[in-house]
Amino acid sequence: MKLLIVEDEQGLRESIERYFTEEGIICESCSDLSTAISKTTLYQYDCILLDIGLPDGEGFALLEHLKEGGKNEGVLIISARNSLDNKVQGLNLGADDYLTKPFHLAELKARIAAIFRRKAFNTTNVLTYDQISINLLAREVEVNTTGIILTRKEYDMLLYFIANKGKVISKNAIAEHLWGDEIDLIDSFDFIYTHIKNIRKKLMEAAHKDYIKSVYGVGYKFL
Amino acid sequence: MKLSAHYSKATLIITFSVLFIAGIIYYCTITYIVNNQLDRDLKEEVEEITEFVNLNQRLPGKLDFEDDQLTLTKTNEKLNEMAFYDAPYYKKKHKPGHNKTESGRAVKALVSLKGDNYLLTVTESKDASEHLTQLIIGITLLLTALLLLILAITNRYIFRGLWKPFYSILQQLKAFNIADSGSFNLSKTNIDEFGELNEAVITMSARVKSDYQNLKTFTENASHEMLTPIAVITSKLDTLIQDEKLKAEQFTQITDIYAATNKLSRLNQSLLLLVKIDNDLIQDNATFNLKDIILEKIHQFQELNQNKQIEITELLGDKEITASRYLIEILINNLFNNAIKHNITRGKIFIDLTPNELVFQNTGESGPLNSSEIFERFKKGKNSDGTGLGLTIAKNICSQYGFNLTYSFESSLHTFKISFK
Repeated sequence: MKLLIVEDEQGLRESIERYFTEEGIICESCSDLSTAISKTTLYQYDCILLDIGLPDGEGFALLEHLKEGGKNEGVLIISARNSLDNKVQGLNLGADDYLTKPFHLAELKARIAAIFRRKAFNTTNVLTYDQISINLLAREVEVNTTGIILTRKEYDMLLYFIANKGKVISKNAIAEHLWGDEIDLIDSFDFIYTHIKNIRKKLMEAAHKDYIKSVYGVGYKFL
Repeated sequence: MKLSAHYSKATLIITFSVLFIAGIIYYCTITYIVNNQLDRDLKEEVEEITEFVNLNQRLPGKLDFEDDQLTLTKTNEKLNEMAFYDAPYYKKKHKPGHNKTESGRAVKALVSLKGDNYLLTVTESKDASEHLTQLIIGITLLLTALLLLILAITNRYIFRGLWKPFYSILQQLKAFNIADSGSFNLSKTNIDEFGELNEAVITMSARVKSDYQNLKTFTENASHEMLTPIAVITSKLDTLIQDEKLKAEQFTQITDIYAATNKLSRLNQSLLLLVKIDNDLIQDNATFNLKDIILEKIHQFQELNQNKQIEITELLGDKEITASRYLIEILINNLFNNAIKHNITRGKIFIDLTPNELVFQNTGESGPLNSSEIFERFKKGKNSDGTGLGLTIAKNICSQYGFNLTYSFESSLHTFKISFK
């Protein structure tokens, strides 16, 4: 997967680049609109991470440029502006998703993975990881060809984990993914524990392998 | 008391006292003039009698000069001059036994006849002049009453007209809302003071509004500017925890930083939301059934309730409302959060929805809360780890749609009631 990160805040850009760079993902980045436009003209990307507030213009211009060029890159807007109008404008211009700052890198990665999957939907609708295979249309999970039953939240969590495989995901990121930022309860950490315990158990029974590793109380890692 | 009433009171008191003093002066002057006149008459009479005595060398008979009464008594008294004084006047009526005493004026003088001194007194009735005095006082009183009446009436009507612009300003000042965009619509007046007042009010309201606008813009900008740094912190933390060389205690610290950043981010979002509600920026109104949203939220909060073993009892009727679904979700969310967060283990939550009101009741550790402070910004319980903005946001959303959110403590339950008009 080839990814373009258009973000003017250096610290954020570097973190995203570092988090995304792994086997199979090529990251390129730039900090302004003109570079982004010239890059998209020259190269083909699978997905573009686009900040709206750029020093030389609004990110919407890039969306228009892509539309004119008939390109079908997946675009995820990251913006500090959490206004509905912006969201609607971005999505109308062909963006696939919209994420408001601040966000967790794990969330960003899961969203990118979802966009990427949608783009590649014509070829397959089954996501496979190790012994696990997930039918994304039917929302069914099989481990070693044995079907396992997951609750909606457990299913969401499994997808989230697979998108961030090999990374430590903080509890905050998981809580926000599952309940959104509307719930501001520390209590929600207990549920994460409960959910993880359940997924772990179900996967263990079917695959005889512990996929989830707890990391010093800060979060979890899916291996 | 109205200004016109104050003014009328003052004018009445002043007019009344001036007229009263004038009355006294009048009375004294008239009395003085009358006495003077009478004294001159009496003096003339005394002179006439003296002349008579000198000419005839005998005392006058017991005859009255016109209606005046004379007495002559032999005396040894020495009297240099004539002396005038007030004395009673015995009026003889035609019918005997009906004598009447009137006020009168008398004079004492010495008359010498053949070496003997006689004391002469002449008394004259004051009746006629008294009538005059009474008449004058009566007219004065009548005029006073008339003047007061006219003053009272004119004050009333003139004031009503004069103060019209003032009441118009007052009316608009009362209705003044700092968040409204409408400006003052003040009628032109030819009274300088009110003209100045109009100008001052317009200038002041414009300044207040611009200050308020600046403050809101500042809050919005500040919150916006903070989002990117928070995003950087979060992303750096997300990157940091990937490092396998970190020790357990460092992870503990990172966990704390995560919690603080999370809180910072929520605070920021709440502030932005408040500014947006205040600025009336969220206007995606739609009509929907409030019951559906509550059911949805009950489902969403299910796990949190199960964890605290909180029992929810709901009695939901249908209630169609027209509002921003986004804001109403936040409202219900905040009420739920509040009811769960401050609840006890194995506590209870009651939700009642009727066409007139929505009531959230929950058990809790603390006793009644201060209902006047509870909706203020950053007022929160001692054990609360929230932002302190949740209920403020709920209140503001309610006022946005003309609902009234109130708190009360009823039969050991914290009760939040939203009255839909």
